Amino acid sequence: MEQASVTKARSISQQVGMVASLAKNQVLSMLLILILTWIVLAFLSPYFFTVRNLFEITLQSSVFAIIAAGETFVIFSGGIDLSVGSVFAFSSIVGGIFYAATGSVFLAVVTCLATGIAAGIVNGLFISSLNVPPFVATLGMMGIARGAALIAVNGIPIYGLSPTFMWIGQGQVAGLIPVPTIIMAAIFVLAYLVLNYSRFGRFTYAIGSNLESARLSGVSVAGITLGIYALSGMTAALAGIIESARLGTVQPAGGSGYELLAIGAVVIGGTSLFGGEGNIIGTLIGALLVTTIRNGLNILGVYAFWQYVVNGLIIVLAVAIDQVKNRR
Amino acid sequence: MEGITKSFLGVPVLKGVDFDLKRGEAHVLIGENGAGKSTLMKILSGAYSRDSGTIVVDGAKLATLTPRTAEDAGIISIYQNFHLFPHLSVAENLAISRFARERKLIRWKETFARAKEALARIDFGIDLRAKVGDLPVAQKQMLEIALALSKNAKILIMDEPTAALSSRETETLFKTIADLKKSGVGVIYISHRLEEIKQIGDRVTVLRDGVTVGTLPVSAADPSTVIPMMIGRELQPTARDLAARDGGRRVLELRNLSCPGSFRDVSLTLFQGEVLGLTGLVGAGKTEVAQVLFGVRQAAEGEILMDGKEVSIDSPRTANRFGLGYLPEDRDARGLCLNMGVQENITLVSLTQQAHGFLDPRWERRMAEKAVSSLNIRTPSLAQQVKYLSGGNKQKVMFAKWLSARCRVLILDEPTFGIDAGARAEIYSLIDDFAHAQKKAVLFISSDIDEVLAVTDRIHVMAGGKLIAQASPRETTKQEILRMCMQGTRNREG
Repeated sequence: MEQASVTKARSISQQVGMVASLAKNQVLSMLLILILTWIVLAFLSPYFFTVRNLFEITLQSSVFAIIAAGETFVIFSGGIDLSVGSVFAFSSIVGGIFYAATGSVFLAVVTCLATGIAAGIVNGLFISSLNVPPFVATLGMMGIARGAALIAVNGIPIYGLSPTFMWIGQGQVAGLIPVPTIIMAAIFVLAYLVLNYSRFGRFTYAIGSNLESARLSGVSVAGITLGIYALSGMTAALAGIIESARLGTVQPAGGSGYELLAIGAVVIGGTSLFGGEGNIIGTLIGALLVTTIRNGLNILGVYAFWQYVVNGLIIVLAVAIDQVKNRR
Repeated sequence: MEGITKSFLGVPVLKGVDFDLKRGEAHVLIGENGAGKSTLMKILSGAYSRDSGTIVVDGAKLATLTPRTAEDAGIISIYQNFHLFPHLSVAENLAISRFARERKLIRWKETFARAKEALARIDFGIDLRAKVGDLPVAQKQMLEIALALSKNAKILIMDEPTAALSSRETETLFKTIADLKKSGVGVIYISHRLEEIKQIGDRVTVLRDGVTVGTLPVSAADPSTVIPMMIGRELQPTARDLAARDGGRRVLELRNLSCPGSFRDVSLTLFQGEVLGLTGLVGAGKTEVAQVLFGVRQAAEGEILMDGKEVSIDSPRTANRFGLGYLPEDRDARGLCLNMGVQENITLVSLTQQAHGFLDPRWERRMAEKAVSSLNIRTPSLAQQVKYLSGGNKQKVMFAKWLSARCRVLILDEPTFGIDAGARAEIYSLIDDFAHAQKKAVLFISSDIDEVLAVTDRIHVMAGGKLIAQASPRETTKQEILRMCMQGTRNREG
């Protein structure tokens, strides 16, 4: 009798646990929403559900999805990086200047990435050594990097990228898969491995979960923080290269507003803005979802400016849902 | 107050307390740490709700008390930790509760006039425009008192109000209390200092383990009568088999360590194979010593030696490298990553010591499995988020993470706080095994004197930021230690 009731209680608690974990599993629910959106759009437009358009979505996602991959580490650690859109522009301008001077795509890529990393390290130094809150430090960098990008070229875009350079953004592998899509996939695989199989990833998690106890456990909080923001700067720079190559020009005003798209993708993907909770696959799905909705609105002929409103709504809703779930 | 009970998470803290206060009387409430004094007062001031019992003020039963209704009934509290707004001025702080009630525009002239009047009542001269955050502790305390008095208190609750005051300020406070009594205000006064109780109190009530032990007139409240009441049954000193200290090897030594505002001139030696107890009342400076040892805060003067060599510990990371482990008092806020799983918490310290930067899931699992079984951590799985574990199991996870990292010296700060008796016993045996069987060393910080007597080999007593006495648990009694704790707590010279 008692045995039976214990078993019953256990099975009920297991069921409750399963429902809770299903609801908690934002990745799964977001994946479902993504697929649902695709199905709805497929009914609304015959053009939507074509192989070409689906790859188009991954292509459109790639730039800010890559930014979001770095941003995931930052938010996971309990911080925020608002400077990614500006660092994106500044790094690609630096890369573009080197390209214009030397004609070397390799040098352009290396200097661009190095600039992004340097900007990230500056962010990290202000945050970890001078205790400037991440929001403020990266807000400052957002202004500085944007200004530096515009000053460096007097506000004039750099033109004349070679076909080799542009292949990074416009090329296709096997005549079908866009190169940016492949880069994006590679970045996410890497990010997944780092987050789950490296000490750096674990310490990022620990800092986000409880900074003080991570410090007391001997985690070098300052060093990890520096690494996290450097990583975020680097992914922003990489995204900058891809976009320059796609457009065939380097724009000092490019990437503005991308920080919101990236943060949106991270948050929609289930990473908590309070740190210590989240995952990188969710970010990828979040980025695809944001692009799908934009793409869908485009196909349906919705006035382009409405997309900003929809983006904003999605971000706020995603966080609100997260809050409601956590309150229980 | 009659038959007041209160439980936190199923642990009864008050088990039927009776307490009464007459008009114009100062009634002293006394008891050990954790006896339930503060809980009782928080119930009276509406900060906590009671589980059962009745509260009657001036013949009227008060049903549910909230801070607001308690204030309306004239019950005002002065807390140990301040409830002032650090960014506002003295005058604004004194007027803030009226701002909240009247919802009008602020009339500065009146605000200042009221503030001046409130300060004049306790003869406390201070710049009304000074920012409260910049004031020294003693002035904040006086301001808190002025604030309470400005609310027309009928019943005034003071919890260790003199802890931060100089003797001159204490005198002013006592004069104020005497005036209040004359004007018919009842004062409930929580204190550990027997000498000051005599100066201001009328009656003394002793609380122990959530019950009222007795009430007596202050003239009868001598240490020899009050301390046994606080302790209850005199425990026999535990006759523990003390292993001979291993050749007297000094593992850790503190020499004349000082940290301004926390403790002064602390020297102690930790030998291999022993548990050294550090006890004292709340606020004696014990935690701060641990924090300096572990590089969380910096000492202004003094030396730390490990194995006879002077070391400089500037961060927890360095402390960790020297083989120190630290289990902080506040498990949830500082000890554990609550979102992370049991396994991830256990391996965290070991990972910081690992030479390479990769995770080896099998190595981690093995380490966690070993710790979970040897420490008997009750968890449904290794992936279980630590926040869902009980207090005892959380504490064991903290032990596990340091033991897995092979540290040599454990600094334990209140390691059994809020833990049930079963888990307590397990933790004691862990400590015993670590220090005595494995021949390592433990600095055991606790304000629970029973447990210090039961667990440690030697005891240091701290009071008011200084080491004031040493004792052997076999030769001393709880009564003696408690007396040392209380008598050592003198006013800081001001």
